[in-house]
Amino acid sequence: MSVLDILMNYYPAFLSGLWVTMQLSLIIWGSGIVVGGGLGILGARYRIYIGLPSRTVSFLLSGVPILVFLFWLHYPAQAMFDVVIDPFYTGAFTLSVINIFSVADIVRGALVDFPQQYLTAAKVTGLTREQTIFKIQIPLILREILPPLLLLQVMMLHTTLFTSLISVEEIFRAAQRINAQIYRPVEIYTALGVFFLAVCLPVNGFALWLKGRYTRDLSER
Amino acid sequence: MLTTRGLGKSFGGKTVLRDVNVDIAPGTITCVIGPSGTGKTTLLRALSLLDLPDSGVISLDGQDYSFPLQQGAAITPAPWPKLTAVFQSLFLWPHLTLRENILLPARNIDAAKAEKDIEGLIAFFEMQGFIDSYPNQASIGQRQRVAMARALILNPRYLLLDEITSALDVEQTVKILTKLGHLKERNIGVFLITHQIGFARKSADQIVFMDGGTVAERGGPDILDAPKTARLQQFLSAVHEVY
Repeated sequence: MSVLDILMNYYPAFLSGLWVTMQLSLIIWGSGIVVGGGLGILGARYRIYIGLPSRTVSFLLSGVPILVFLFWLHYPAQAMFDVVIDPFYTGAFTLSVINIFSVADIVRGALVDFPQQYLTAAKVTGLTREQTIFKIQIPLILREILPPLLLLQVMMLHTTLFTSLISVEEIFRAAQRINAQIYRPVEIYTALGVFFLAVCLPVNGFALWLKGRYTRDLSER
Repeated sequence: MLTTRGLGKSFGGKTVLRDVNVDIAPGTITCVIGPSGTGKTTLLRALSLLDLPDSGVISLDGQDYSFPLQQGAAITPAPWPKLTAVFQSLFLWPHLTLRENILLPARNIDAAKAEKDIEGLIAFFEMQGFIDSYPNQASIGQRQRVAMARALILNPRYLLLDEITSALDVEQTVKILTKLGHLKERNIGVFLITHQIGFARKSADQIVFMDGGTVAERGGPDILDAPKTARLQQFLSAVHEVY
């Protein structure tokens, strides 16, 4: 049975798994960018009260393997509080938390390290506050954060595979199920690779396009 | 008239400006000279109301700004771009072309006039070959000309310049300094930190010699030939030894 045969025969299972993966990714991306972006902005503005705790949590999270965090929230935490939560929500929550703090780190860093001389130039040339924000600050900050932000989102898409280990019926688990039935690991995991290429390449391509379009080498000669 | 009275400024307990009094009249050139680390740039930044002084008063055409400001108070009315500055580090916005760097603030004043004025400035500063480049694609000398053009297109009443010819070749330096001379005709008051003693002697209406955070000596260009203080004499001797 070739890769194509497997794709043709089992595409409903693959598509169903892919749909769960995409739902997970959309939740993780959306919460990460909206909440993480907001947290990053607030962290840059209120460095002690929001920035410092956010950095501390981010630092602690960076020391915990994703799988350990995921398992901890799925098994001990739920046992501790005597609740049973759908693994999909546990997975979405865990990865969203990681994405939120990672995005906040990127955004806060770009805001805190924004070169003040560009604001000085805006001030002495009489630019309004709105012009300074929309014509100087936002374009320069976006140029800086866009590449790492997109790279992070592609990485978060990859980490959704871990949720298969807490029984989320995403694409990796779908592939494992098919493999359990027909035992053709080479073809099945190649097919899985094809699915991931189909999803990740457009995102990576979009990231590259944005990078090429909006980020230039700004270093002075 | 742009004046300061009793200006003082400290950084971390170190006094860098002490009781500085300066008067800059429209249509005149004031050249500030002095050794490095004597507060020249701090004075310029205070005068441009970017780094606010700890004490004293800055008066801009009758509008007084008294220091220290009350906590949370803002500089109102904003003096820019009637009062503008060009710094040694040029602060061009890196994501905009050099043309856009000049036009962005100028359009706030008169968009149609800005489009017309920029052509004159491009011709004057010979920027035709690189005006549509980005700042990082231009040499330091080219960027200095753009920074000057960005300030001049705003038609300021007072222009504060911090060693703006430091990276220019002799021809470009002459060009810019000649342009500064023309600003007097436009009734612009120029405050220039410079090491170009020759220019100061030839074009300045007022020389301010700073030492140790204070105005150690001031006067017309004649003080460069007949300094009254030993410190200025010593400084000028050192300059003459080099040039």
